[in-house]
Amino acid sequence: MSLQQIDAKMLSKMFLAGAKNLENKKEWINELNVFPVPDGDTGTNMTMTIMSAAKEVAALGDNGTMDSLCKAISSGSLRGARGNSGVILSQLFRGFTKVVKTYDVLDIPVLAEALEKAVETAYKAVMKPKEGTILTVARGAAEKAGQLAGDGCTDLETFCRAVIEQAEYVLGQTPEMLPVLKQAGVVDSGGQGLVEVLHGAFDAFMGKEVDFDLNSAPAAGGGTGRTGRTSSYEAQANAEIRFGYCTEFIILLNKPFIKKTEMDFKAFLESIGDSIVCVADDDVVKVHVHTNDPGLAIQRALKYGALSNMKIDNMRLEHQEKLFKMSGGQTEELSVELAGGAVPAAPGMPHKESGFIAVSVGDGVNEIFRSLGVDYIIEGGQTMNPSTADILDAVEKVNADTVFILPNNKNIILAANQAAELTTEKNLVVIPTKTIPQGIAAVINYVPELTADENEEAMLEEIGKVRTGQVTYAVRDTVIDEKEIKKDDYMGIGDAGLLAVGQDIARVTEEMVAAMVDDESELISVYYGSDVNETEAEALRRSLESAYPSLDIELQFGGQPIYYYVISVE
Amino acid sequence: MSKIAIVTDSNSGITQSQAEECGIYVLPMPFMIGGKTYFEDIDLTQEQFYEMLTTGQEISTSQPSPESVLELWDRLLKEYDEIVHIPMSSGLSGSCQSAMMLAQDYNGKIQVVNNQRISVTQRQSAMDAKHLAAKGMNAAQIKEFLENDKFNSSIYIMLDTLYYLKKGGRITPAAAAIGTLLKLKPVLQIQGEKLDAFAKARTTGQGKSLMINAIKNDIINRFGGFTEEKGIWLQIAYTYDREAAQTWYEEVAAAFPGYDVHMDPLSLSVACHIGPGALAVACCKKIPE
Repeated sequence: MSLQQIDAKMLSKMFLAGAKNLENKKEWINELNVFPVPDGDTGTNMTMTIMSAAKEVAALGDNGTMDSLCKAISSGSLRGARGNSGVILSQLFRGFTKVVKTYDVLDIPVLAEALEKAVETAYKAVMKPKEGTILTVARGAAEKAGQLAGDGCTDLETFCRAVIEQAEYVLGQTPEMLPVLKQAGVVDSGGQGLVEVLHGAFDAFMGKEVDFDLNSAPAAGGGTGRTGRTSSYEAQANAEIRFGYCTEFIILLNKPFIKKTEMDFKAFLESIGDSIVCVADDDVVKVHVHTNDPGLAIQRALKYGALSNMKIDNMRLEHQEKLFKMSGGQTEELSVELAGGAVPAAPGMPHKESGFIAVSVGDGVNEIFRSLGVDYIIEGGQTMNPSTADILDAVEKVNADTVFILPNNKNIILAANQAAELTTEKNLVVIPTKTIPQGIAAVINYVPELTADENEEAMLEEIGKVRTGQVTYAVRDTVIDEKEIKKDDYMGIGDAGLLAVGQDIARVTEEMVAAMVDDESELISVYYGSDVNETEAEALRRSLESAYPSLDIELQFGGQPIYYYVISVE
Repeated sequence: MSKIAIVTDSNSGITQSQAEECGIYVLPMPFMIGGKTYFEDIDLTQEQFYEMLTTGQEISTSQPSPESVLELWDRLLKEYDEIVHIPMSSGLSGSCQSAMMLAQDYNGKIQVVNNQRISVTQRQSAMDAKHLAAKGMNAAQIKEFLENDKFNSSIYIMLDTLYYLKKGGRITPAAAAIGTLLKLKPVLQIQGEKLDAFAKARTTGQGKSLMINAIKNDIINRFGGFTEEKGIWLQIAYTYDREAAQTWYEEVAAAFPGYDVHMDPLSLSVACHIGPGALAVACCKKIPE
């Protein structure tokens, strides 16, 4: 006969095994994304969330009490939470441990109560709970547990098996509840993640030894909760830097910067480096280039006028510093891209009433946010969702009473909300921006003279008026909204779903824009990504200009990965 | 009761013919364009001005010459006992300073009002002065009343371009700092004194709702709220684009139902600093009956 009670030692083992099993299935869960985008990441997000807790649990060793174990699980997952599924998972743990921590040993009635509390807590954390997701799967499991406890079930093994079977059954039903899942031919990825956790835990309960070695987990790199960030920086750090000097300056023009001059100058910059930003505005030109010979850029620029605000950084040296810091386990400063400049370090930043944090990726987009007065940029986005802890760190660095945070991705909003709840010293206001253009609209509409509440209201109103479309490629065959998608097709994804698909990137992009524009539209902004060159982007601008002669078209270098174009219509 | 003449300058937007109609005297502002001096609404029309502005001619403004001021005052004093002189904002021009200096020789018969108004709000001051004179106030009382009332007005202006603002110097450093990678439309404010930065907008639609919200806030927080008596004057001003202004007029009227909205072209001395295509909305608190 198997165990009839679970003590702290067993629960610890079960938790670690659950975490390990989720980690093993991570890639597979990533691919369960409805949109076959290249950066599906539910598995990664959930794994990072649970691993942040698992490390704290592992650190307790065999000596943890139920209370200390619960604290480790709850606070570790809360701080490490990233992505919607990660945040929901952390709330499930938080609810579960609220009940469990008051007992020394757990039996069926306690487990049933804890599961019920878990579900209640998680539902509360989501503003508009959606059925057919991890929430539904968790609720199915909790209801089954409650029913078994009520029926007087006394065998823990039978109980666990039945609860997991129910969770799997509900998971299998998720495509019936959410048509998008059905069309894509997948079950809900977050629900799948939860089931994997339960499986792992049950295996441990049944006596299967799981080797939980922190070092074998690829996500386990640095300090608490920042594991994913570290690994991403390791990847970045290992990448070779082709052009060593980040060079920035402003040309004060002595004669008009005509189109031809601009094209010539850009072509010249392209011949000596990359990551080029060259923006002319009436009588000044702002220049940013990564090059091995800053002198060439400067000499050439002097032909057009006097220079000001010159700044040259050696990125290779900074790169070394990054590596040095990483080896020292010191990852504090890494969430700011050092080469980007302009972001003031924490202690030197003068105090102000309101500050801004934006989650952003891509040189161009980061620069736009900075130029609009954003104080701190958390590198991340769809490809890498920052955790609650990353956001809390950023909040700490912004020396302001009220801090507005722009998540700029729907999968980061919940983690930001969670950070807001954990922030006590500052007033953290989450403006739920789902895309980069929404974030840009929000910060533009900030009015220093208004109160935080008035600003929040105005920003919420304005982001509602911004439509966003993003162009990327498909990683597998699928069907969405009756549209058949083949692997490697280009997809234009709008706020509410797929807008265009096909093999020709220009056609897909134009079709997507056509679906976004209406009579009220005034402005189309195009942010082109790192995989698009300027000539292609210019060609797109021209074709949009001729298609929409009454609209303003603004082309900007965004530099974002994976998304060829991020386009907004307002 | 003393007989009082009300004098203002052409920044008020009051044209010579309107002035005649309502018994107000308007000094034309001089503009130096290409080495020649023109006078607003005398030998310089709005159309001519914008044509010269947009073709890149050097335009500089100056204050009315002391002779022209003295000549008008002396002429008026033959008919009137006192004069209330309402020049454009002392934050934007030296006109007020000069007039005060010239008035010193008139033993208090000339009261120069330093209430920092411009354009549609300056026009309202002239109208208010006329009204107060009719109610029996003397020139010194009118001056005091208008100066006490000076912050009871607010103007927001959305610019179509930063170009003219950068060229001129009549903005506070905060406004000059609005320069970013994106093409933005700055929204400026005038609360007495100078043109100052208020906010920025990406699109005309955004800028318009910013300005309407700002006026609503001012009415609620500064000017006594939306009351039965509707104790607020609302005004619209624009540079050059009459058609866009008409649309803006209708939008503002719809946002403030029941309120009268007055529309004027923005005075040229402001226009030459902000350029064509600007839209503005202003409000003034009505003087209590």
